[in-house]
Amino acid sequence: MKKFQSIWFILFIFFSITACRKAKSGGTTDDFDTLKQTVLADFVDNVAIPQYQNFSAIANTLNADVVALDADATEVNLAKARQSWKDLRTSWEQCEGFLFGPVEDDNYDPNMDTWPVDYNQLDSLLASSNPLAISDIQNLSTLSLRGFHPIEYILWGVDGNRSAASITAREKTYMISLTKDLQNNANSLNSSWITGAGNFGKEVKTAGSGSTVYSKKQEVYLAITEAMIGICDEVGGGKMAEPFDALDSNIVESPFSNNSTIDFKNNIIGLGNVYNGTFSGTGKGITNLVAAKNVSLDNKIKQQISAAVSSFNAITLSYEEAIFDQRTQITSVRTTLETLKTTLEEALKPFIVQYITD
Amino acid sequence: MKIQKSFIVTAFLLLPVTLMMCRKPGTFNEDEIDPRLSGGAATVFDETSRAFTHNINGLDSRDLHVHGLGDSRFEGSFVTPPALINPGLGPVFNNVSCISCHHNDGKGTPTFGSVNSSMLMRLSLKDIEDAHGGPVAVPGFGLQLQDVSTFGIPAEAKVSIAYTESAYTFADGETVHLRMPAYTIQNAYASLPADYLFSPRMAPSVFGIGLLANIPESTILSFADENDKDHDGISGKPNYVWNPHTGTMQLGRFGLKANTSEIKVQVASAYQQDMGVTNSIFPNESSYGQIQSDGLDDDPELPDSILNAVAFYVRTLAVPARRNVADAGVKQGEKIFTQINCTGCHKPTIYTGVDVTAPTLSNQRIHPYTDLLLHDMGDGLADNRPDFAATGSEWRTPPLWGVGLLQRTNGIPYYLHDGRARTFEEAILWHGGEAAQAKQKFTELSTADRKSLMQFLKSL
Repeated sequence: MKKFQSIWFILFIFFSITACRKAKSGGTTDDFDTLKQTVLADFVDNVAIPQYQNFSAIANTLNADVVALDADATEVNLAKARQSWKDLRTSWEQCEGFLFGPVEDDNYDPNMDTWPVDYNQLDSLLASSNPLAISDIQNLSTLSLRGFHPIEYILWGVDGNRSAASITAREKTYMISLTKDLQNNANSLNSSWITGAGNFGKEVKTAGSGSTVYSKKQEVYLAITEAMIGICDEVGGGKMAEPFDALDSNIVESPFSNNSTIDFKNNIIGLGNVYNGTFSGTGKGITNLVAAKNVSLDNKIKQQISAAVSSFNAITLSYEEAIFDQRTQITSVRTTLETLKTTLEEALKPFIVQYITD
Repeated sequence: MKIQKSFIVTAFLLLPVTLMMCRKPGTFNEDEIDPRLSGGAATVFDETSRAFTHNINGLDSRDLHVHGLGDSRFEGSFVTPPALINPGLGPVFNNVSCISCHHNDGKGTPTFGSVNSSMLMRLSLKDIEDAHGGPVAVPGFGLQLQDVSTFGIPAEAKVSIAYTESAYTFADGETVHLRMPAYTIQNAYASLPADYLFSPRMAPSVFGIGLLANIPESTILSFADENDKDHDGISGKPNYVWNPHTGTMQLGRFGLKANTSEIKVQVASAYQQDMGVTNSIFPNESSYGQIQSDGLDDDPELPDSILNAVAFYVRTLAVPARRNVADAGVKQGEKIFTQINCTGCHKPTIYTGVDVTAPTLSNQRIHPYTDLLLHDMGDGLADNRPDFAATGSEWRTPPLWGVGLLQRTNGIPYYLHDGRARTFEEAILWHGGEAAQAKQKFTELSTADRKSLMQFLKSL
């Protein structure tokens, strides 16, 4: 009987100990290794390339809309062109969630998004006999005469209420070339990532196994993370902060279209696309990697991204007005961005360094 | 009596304690110091394309604000005046913003006249010095050629580069292609004198210069050996240059020929010469007296607050940490770097001086791999244009910290003063003059040792 009791006791101890064992999180190392590769492949195929493709497609539409406006200067055609400009802006700002690779190395940002507009040169150019063909635009020595913002200036006018009839023939010719130039840049940025062209996507996918740019997977993950940190900082600490601190609406980035707050929000939506692996298809994102090892960190990052994105809804005025009349709301948005940035810097980056060592 | 005894015992007990308190702290063993900390406390751990763009630690909120303001202005594109935002570009210039040349706060691209070009051409008259021993401006062009202009205004000239390639083959059969640039100045808006000097320069990286500014002058001078008294073939000469801000001659530290003594002057000169933006230190347009001059009574175009913020920004940029320092190959490469005497000029370890205004820059043990002195680099690299004490074949030893990250920050890395070298091997093979011996030893290294040296440089 005593013997029987001690067997029960031993069994009890055994089960107690095994019951205390932590459940395995994230499966085996093999699973995590596979996931590290899948997330990179999905980032390229579901996030980066589809967004650049989308950007390129909208650039084509904007050019077509401006051509239509030139042919028939109606308010409807002007509204269409303005909407396409805003759509293209949405796409571009979301692509800024991953500013690394060709977009950075080949200066696409200054080629498309130089700010501010150089009004004096723009007036001189329009008043000149320059034919304003695409080749003439490409030969201009300063980028402040090219890209999004001169197009915005012409489509909306200084006060944002320009009529279709008031846009001059030369302005329209200029705008056709500007949108064509933007379209060329968008197409070539897209090409730089795809197979059969620049194929930067392959450099990302083969990080640590043949990539000429990233000798370790950790390097590309850090590049992605730093790009997320960078955009948080640029929005909260730069684009929003400067006009806010200086109380100067002239420093706001998209002043003619009153599109700045939407621009800012789209930057953070772009960051969310990168983290969650969302945009097109249903693949894996960095979220899955983090969740495999640290669910609470993943939840925290997801919650902070979502809080940052929705915090912009509190700014109901144009950013030019909000810096005067909605300072509390702006401060609150900047706080959510700072919180997110700190988490990415102090938790996600160390996570990458700790768990992705190859 | 009892009291006396206890007194003596107490005194004996206290003696060693007192003596130990007086002991000087011992110096750290080299192995106990983290070799990754290239900038001491001003080091940042980031190996991505943004590695050069971080502020140093320890800035208070006000300083962070100024750094941030400087950061945005460093990136800001200038436009023609009058304008509400960033006015002052041109009429003639080389590029429209700091960041256009110093891509990601690093170097740039060795081309002229394009939006991403980081090259400029210095000019001067031959065989003549100004009152301070500096170069004399070419009439109608100044000390620098501005090869871009605002719409409707003629640029001073255009510059084209043609490379002649030659092959160098190591004993093991590996071949390196060296390209020798030749520059043509064409379409000048006015005639250039028959005999003028020109010197191409590519924008260098801007991080870490707060630390370089803080190296005591005595330390830099201690490296100098102008007459090569130690007969190692390496002299090392300080440049003394005119500082228009203080109105004095000072030790030059910045610029590819150490022709600038102060960060603020470097920034102010870049604004005025490279972008055409006048400021309190250089209040006249670079095109002053030329047909391109805008004739506007708006100088200085740059507020002092911006000039100061941008100078503060570059002063407070951190140095990226080294990587893979424990790799056997990297360690071997580091030994070879010393053995073949690269360290004769590229000084591995220097201590900065005390600066109570910036604790992270103050009294730091740093690894800049420069002595900030001028060295004769031979005919292959000579620009034949003297710049204060620098002769036509002398260049300042460039810091090597961060060179291993240039591919990340720039896409294609370019090295040397004119960006002619695309790999470390090419850059080393161009070394001549005082560095000829080190170069020779480099060519004699075994394949494995050569690779190790490359690994070491890649870790910087």
